[in-house]
Amino acid sequence: MSVADRREFMKQAAAGAAAAAAAALTPGVAFGQDLTRLIGGLGLEWKKTPCRFCGVGCGLLVGLEGGRAVAVRGDPASPVSRGLACVKGYHSVQALYGRDRLTRALVRQGDRLVQVPMERALDLVARTLRETVEAHGKDSVAMYGSGQWTIPAGYVATKLFKGALGTNNIDASARLYTASAMTGAISSFGLDQPMGCYEDLDHADVFVLWGANMAETYPVLFSRMLERRQRSPSVRIVDLATRSTRTSYASDRALLFAPQSDLAVANAICHEIVARGRVNRSFVDRHVAFRRGSTGIGYGLRDDALVSEDEAEASFDDYVRFLADYSPERVERLSGVQAADIRWLASLYADPSLRVVSLWSTGINQHTRGSWANNLIYNIHLLTGKIASPGNGPLSLTDQPSACGAVREVGALAHALPRGTVADPEDREFAAGIWGVPSSRIDSRPGHHALSMFRALERGDIRFLWVQATNPMVTLPDLSRYRAAARKEGRFLVVSDVYPTPTTEVADVVLPSALWIEEEGLFGNGERRTQHFQQMVDAPGEAMGDTWQMIEVARRLGHQELFPWPRESHVADIWAEYTRFHDGPSHRMALLSELESRPGVMWPYVDGRETRWRYNTAHDPAADAGRGDFHFYGNPDGRARIWLRPFEPAPEVPDTEFPFWLETGRVLEHWSSGVLTRRIPTLHRAMPGAYVEINDHDARELGVQDGDRVRLVSRRGSIQITARLDHRGQPPRGHLFVPFFDESLLINELTSDAHCPVSGQPDYKKCAVRVERVARMTGT
Amino acid sequence: MNGGVDRRLPARLATIGGTTTLMVVAIMVLAPSAPPGGDRAGAELERAVVPAASPILAEAEVFRTLPDQLGVDPAARPRLEAHPRSMAIYRRLRAYPGAPPRIPHSLTREEAMGGHCNSCHERGGFVERFAAYAPITPHPERSHCLQCHVADDRLLGLPYPDGGPDAVCAQCHVMEASPPELVALDWPEPRWPATGQVALPGAPPAIPHDFHHRGNCLACHGGPSAVAEIRTSHPERANCRQCHLPAGDQADAYTRPGPGGSP
Repeated sequence: MSVADRREFMKQAAAGAAAAAAAALTPGVAFGQDLTRLIGGLGLEWKKTPCRFCGVGCGLLVGLEGGRAVAVRGDPASPVSRGLACVKGYHSVQALYGRDRLTRALVRQGDRLVQVPMERALDLVARTLRETVEAHGKDSVAMYGSGQWTIPAGYVATKLFKGALGTNNIDASARLYTASAMTGAISSFGLDQPMGCYEDLDHADVFVLWGANMAETYPVLFSRMLERRQRSPSVRIVDLATRSTRTSYASDRALLFAPQSDLAVANAICHEIVARGRVNRSFVDRHVAFRRGSTGIGYGLRDDALVSEDEAEASFDDYVRFLADYSPERVERLSGVQAADIRWLASLYADPSLRVVSLWSTGINQHTRGSWANNLIYNIHLLTGKIASPGNGPLSLTDQPSACGAVREVGALAHALPRGTVADPEDREFAAGIWGVPSSRIDSRPGHHALSMFRALERGDIRFLWVQATNPMVTLPDLSRYRAAARKEGRFLVVSDVYPTPTTEVADVVLPSALWIEEEGLFGNGERRTQHFQQMVDAPGEAMGDTWQMIEVARRLGHQELFPWPRESHVADIWAEYTRFHDGPSHRMALLSELESRPGVMWPYVDGRETRWRYNTAHDPAADAGRGDFHFYGNPDGRARIWLRPFEPAPEVPDTEFPFWLETGRVLEHWSSGVLTRRIPTLHRAMPGAYVEINDHDARELGVQDGDRVRLVSRRGSIQITARLDHRGQPPRGHLFVPFFDESLLINELTSDAHCPVSGQPDYKKCAVRVERVARMTGT
Repeated sequence: MNGGVDRRLPARLATIGGTTTLMVVAIMVLAPSAPPGGDRAGAELERAVVPAASPILAEAEVFRTLPDQLGVDPAARPRLEAHPRSMAIYRRLRAYPGAPPRIPHSLTREEAMGGHCNSCHERGGFVERFAAYAPITPHPERSHCLQCHVADDRLLGLPYPDGGPDAVCAQCHVMEASPPELVALDWPEPRWPATGQVALPGAPPAIPHDFHHRGNCLACHGGPSAVAEIRTSHPERANCRQCHLPAGDQADAYTRPGPGGSP
């Protein structure tokens, strides 16, 4: 069956399926709205929570019995997921019950970690932190947190390090997954976070997926797109990708581009829109300003400090001249995307009768020009005026459950504060006022971002590092370098986690953490939606929430007055304090009482109304209707920016010695470094270990068959791994894919720590490797 | 298309005899896509590959006899007789009551990429490739099947069975063999809902589960692919909840409002 036949077949199957809506079949069967009542009768107690895995933020109902979580349903009341979950979400509660849960604190004695009472471990953490500051200064200590934090945890960490200790050395693993989305949004719009929301998926006519394998990595939103296409068969899904995946198979058109050439493809689309006279001039004239920035900004390989870019005014004519380098024909030679296809994409974006949503995640963000790549997608939507309205807009997807909520919104990052940046005196003054500390306490210099933090640990500038809710000894790029840094003499590493990991193995103190619904918390998802969950089950042994661990240490350091909250109410008390930072029409958040009873609320939440489309004066209470339909109030002139961002090559490209591109990423069954999902039997059996996807032709030339062991070698490291052909995805020639979830096959030994020098986000999608055959065991 | 549902099945069924008329009626009642009106009924019959959509056939040992009548390789018969789809199998594929079941069979490359599930699972029918009746999905409107249903990795390497007994047996038995876990899980056997809960002797049993993604009663409770223990004897009634109520609905005693009632 040809691809075309298969597509046609699948469409017919989908149409037939849609006609067979189950409700029509069996009269008298009730759906949806009475689910909670019905399942309430099954002898279980059901409570709502956002899912613990990716940043989509699906609403789950957890079934409880005898003090244990025993079942999961998709919450039909959730506007995010409408009763659906993915296989990870449905089995998520099993992750609470792995037999190797950390239940006692551990302290290093020589080569061993020995159990100690939690109180003594917290004493040791506080004492070492204080002694390190006394001996080496306040900037010798650091916190490395996570988008897996709850919002209270991210807030307490920020307040402890920036407000109490006076160092900005706090960053989060969200840096690795979403930082370019943040810096891209800020440089284009002056403010972080998307202007649209998931409801855009219900209205769009065209979906353009920029390097996002949504079928595996954002399945519930992918299903929402497929449902939209079932209802309206003219809807088109275009997969722009570097390899063929399940997403490509389900899309209407799959276009492969060469790694890094996405920058050129985006500019070529704009070139075509301009050349055809299809610019939305009235939108551009009223709402856009053109900017030229620094170029040749490097790859952060030597410099730790992030680049703060120059911003020079430019005109539309300057932009047209800039685009002259990006004719579709020229970009075809660079990208491999045919000029006709670039023109076709441009025609979809430009057609005033079509609503277009662009979606992306780490394919664009984990990119040495990630911040620019975000700007370039925004450019297309700004040039056509298809933005911030139902079914029109760019929508960045987020990998971690609370990367937006607990890190980007809270400002748990080296340069940020809960509102604004440490560099801005007014922002420092405002934060100091809420925290009740002298504003001189808050340092105006940004701290170390994630990679820079581990480099400082290597040098010895950082001596004490506390890692919470993340697993850097699997997820950092160029891993052997940073593992060696963590193991150096005179470094003190505290790791708070729920299971033993390669990171706890190198720790001096391991603190057992409560997991997800074992404590009360709040997550913020990728559409500005804040979701609350109660504590539903007890944490095992002496496991303690990350937030409360930090409060215990803060009190031992004498900062009782900054963290005065009783344990029973600390989440509510923290929420009340934190939301003072955002108390204005552009970011006001819901009261906890509302969040407790509703399946999430989107901010800005003003006068009881959620804001689905920011900057749209018909929807956003902060937007000035006097400005017309839109008001991009994040920038002082009220205009969004179209940036003249050139294509610049990747720092490491395949050559004769290392002839393959290596791309890493996620698969459906596992989330991030696999700490939780690999303990879930259904997921582990379906995806028991990492593998390398090789193109059929390349495999034949190498003499490699499906299931053979091969050795992958980069300039930084090597691993032996099983080759899979005909598997989940098919890479083009010269391209390999390896998932990163497997702690026994650490693909990040090979990846490079080259990163976007604006965002600090590493490029896990591109480095150069070679493939070596390993002798077959069986002799077949 | 190779290895899919046997498309000859309905044509052969149509010749089975006196029950044909009844079947057409039954399929029109049961098959969701069958429109009213006679001129498409034949076409729908062609498409409806649910041989025992006729309740009469379902209860007339059709489960045993149909494969022979249909020319299915007799070698498959021992498997069908030894392993009717049972509650034990049903449970083994689910982590808890209401969990999405795992896929218990090998997938072709195209199936592993996300296609074709509903070509067998939308309407069911006898699938020669596995010598079994395909269970019918109660939620055919969901087309992204693999986001919730995953197959054991060890099934992917198996040759696609062609109906031969060994290959068919391996489908399930590979999953029986020592599932390797990364670490052990503290997950006791779930409390499966009790079937046959009745308020009075002989009363219609209550429904012991919710309807989330399981709203089409007959998908699971009717026809030869139904788990034997929960297969209805009267699928022609169709309006199931006229008699069968959710178990939870009977929890609270009625209290008369007003001064005489208690809160």
